[in-house]
Amino acid sequence: MSDSNMDLIRSVWEEARDLVKRLEGSTVRRFSVQAGETRIEIERTASGVAVAPAAAPAAAAAAAPATAEEAELDGRHPVVAPLVGTFYRAAQPGAKPFVEEGDVVDEGQTVAIVEAMKLMNQVKAEQGGRVAQIVCSDGDWVEFEQPLMYLEPVE
Amino acid sequence: MFEKVLIANRGEIALRVARACRELGIKSVAVYSSADAESAVVRFADEAVHIGPPATGRSYLHIPNIIGAAQKTGADAIHPGYGFLSEDPYFAEICTDEGMTFIGPRPEVMERVGDKATARDLMSKAGLPLLPGTVDPVATVDEAQQIADEIGYPVIIKAVAGGGGRGMTVVYKREDLASDYRSTRATAQAVFKDSNVYIERYLEAPFHTEVQLVCDTFGNGVYFGERDCSVQRRHQKLIEEAPSVHLTPEMRKDIGEKAVAGATSIGYSGAGTMEFLLDHEGNLAFMEMNARIQVEHPVSEMITACDLIQEQIGVAAGEKLSVSQDDVVFKGHSIECRINAEDPDADFAPTAGRLETYVPPGGPWTRVDSHCYPGWMISPFYDSLIAKLIVWAPDRERAIDRMSRALDEFEISGRGVKTTIPFHQKILQNEQFRSGDVTTDFVEQFMAEERKALAAAG
Repeated sequence: MSDSNMDLIRSVWEEARDLVKRLEGSTVRRFSVQAGETRIEIERTASGVAVAPAAAPAAAAAAAPATAEEAELDGRHPVVAPLVGTFYRAAQPGAKPFVEEGDVVDEGQTVAIVEAMKLMNQVKAEQGGRVAQIVCSDGDWVEFEQPLMYLEPVE
Repeated sequence: MFEKVLIANRGEIALRVARACRELGIKSVAVYSSADAESAVVRFADEAVHIGPPATGRSYLHIPNIIGAAQKTGADAIHPGYGFLSEDPYFAEICTDEGMTFIGPRPEVMERVGDKATARDLMSKAGLPLLPGTVDPVATVDEAQQIADEIGYPVIIKAVAGGGGRGMTVVYKREDLASDYRSTRATAQAVFKDSNVYIERYLEAPFHTEVQLVCDTFGNGVYFGERDCSVQRRHQKLIEEAPSVHLTPEMRKDIGEKAVAGATSIGYSGAGTMEFLLDHEGNLAFMEMNARIQVEHPVSEMITACDLIQEQIGVAAGEKLSVSQDDVVFKGHSIECRINAEDPDADFAPTAGRLETYVPPGGPWTRVDSHCYPGWMISPFYDSLIAKLIVWAPDRERAIDRMSRALDEFEISGRGVKTTIPFHQKILQNEQFRSGDVTTDFVEQFMAEERKALAAAG
């Protein structure tokens, strides 16, 4: 490979590196820089984690469910099922439900139960807010990360 | 027959089982992790349940979520596929407790088969040939020394609970035995939480031969011939074929009948495989039994025209085997290549990535078992299997030529994705492979020669 080729690669690489720096924290998914036959392509996930095959497990946390993302768009925050099981609004049949629509809950407060194989799993609010809508009924079977209710910010 | 079967697996085998269910008129339920939401089986199955995040410990291996999904959908049976929970007696027991049929052997039978020392003992009593060695775990260094002296070196020390090539040490010299014995026990304890080991004669370069069988709950068993899986790398099979060119019809019948007798003697039901090592003098020695359907089952299907998954589901539903031994006629030769997303030039490192091109081959007697499609993401969370390419031909030579043609046709590409197709092509052209004289050390030797040729070419 000739020296001028090496220079070209170096300058393309510097250009690319500069771009990477400027794109830090952005949601750019991929871009490519091409100069003659030389091309550099870089792909990024939404969270800014570089997608390299070996490093890919680190991108796991970036895979958020579409439903949760959509909900966040209108300012509401979903409370989702932590596992597969039966949704219950109260600690036992006939007891007072943990929350009603309109209630204001604190972060970490138990808002529901999902029962799986006779184990009661408490569902806690990840953040505080007002219960805008409860979308599951007592006794419903729910899937992993299925929205159970939506919280909205308290002004 | 079952009304609805939940498939507790992913990838190609989940799709394979769902297809069998559809043909049998059974509704199927797929379960999937967040990484598999767009998977082929999720699209194909009648229902699908999201059971957890990509990490297998919280999805495909998470028993409460799988049982929950079965209850949610009203499934009356669970097919475990291979890997994951397929050989977990505890899972099988829970299925039964929750009122669902586990498609596999009964939990107590599975447990006995899963313990290699127990399995050896039981199969030895049932008349299966074993390599010289112990049937009971070896308790002390002195005992190990005495046994090794009796059977002669080299010997292999194996963890009772071991598998997948882990927890075993080959000992060539008497002076190494004591330290190897201790280190294998320590490894076994650390990896399998069971320090028990046994010792047997080590065969340097055997053929890997395994017998496929299915047993029903009426005590009937049928063998579907054997497969040769000697083309393997670090105990991972790469190419499998049926039948083995090293078995005569008499040997096939003899070992098949013994395998069925061994399985029925312990009340085995369902599909299972008995693994044997075959030496150059034609001696077969029982190694272990796999209490599940295996990745390479299609080659047996191709030479017998029997659907093993359908048989497996049928016997689990309490039906009799649909075929008798006399119905099973072996015809022609079948080969399977496992196409993995791995880089053969980089020590078979997995190459995860999104598939941009995926065009499977077609043509006569060419079968592709795969969950892939253009745009599918080969996930770094799971195994790297892209597709199983299976061909059939009247004889081995023509099967090899057909496989070579099909591999040529297979188009797979994607950013960062490399496949084992070029590696398979090279093996198919190798003189030794074509001669059929391929033992379990073949791939290592083949790769060493490749490296040498590469170095010589400068």
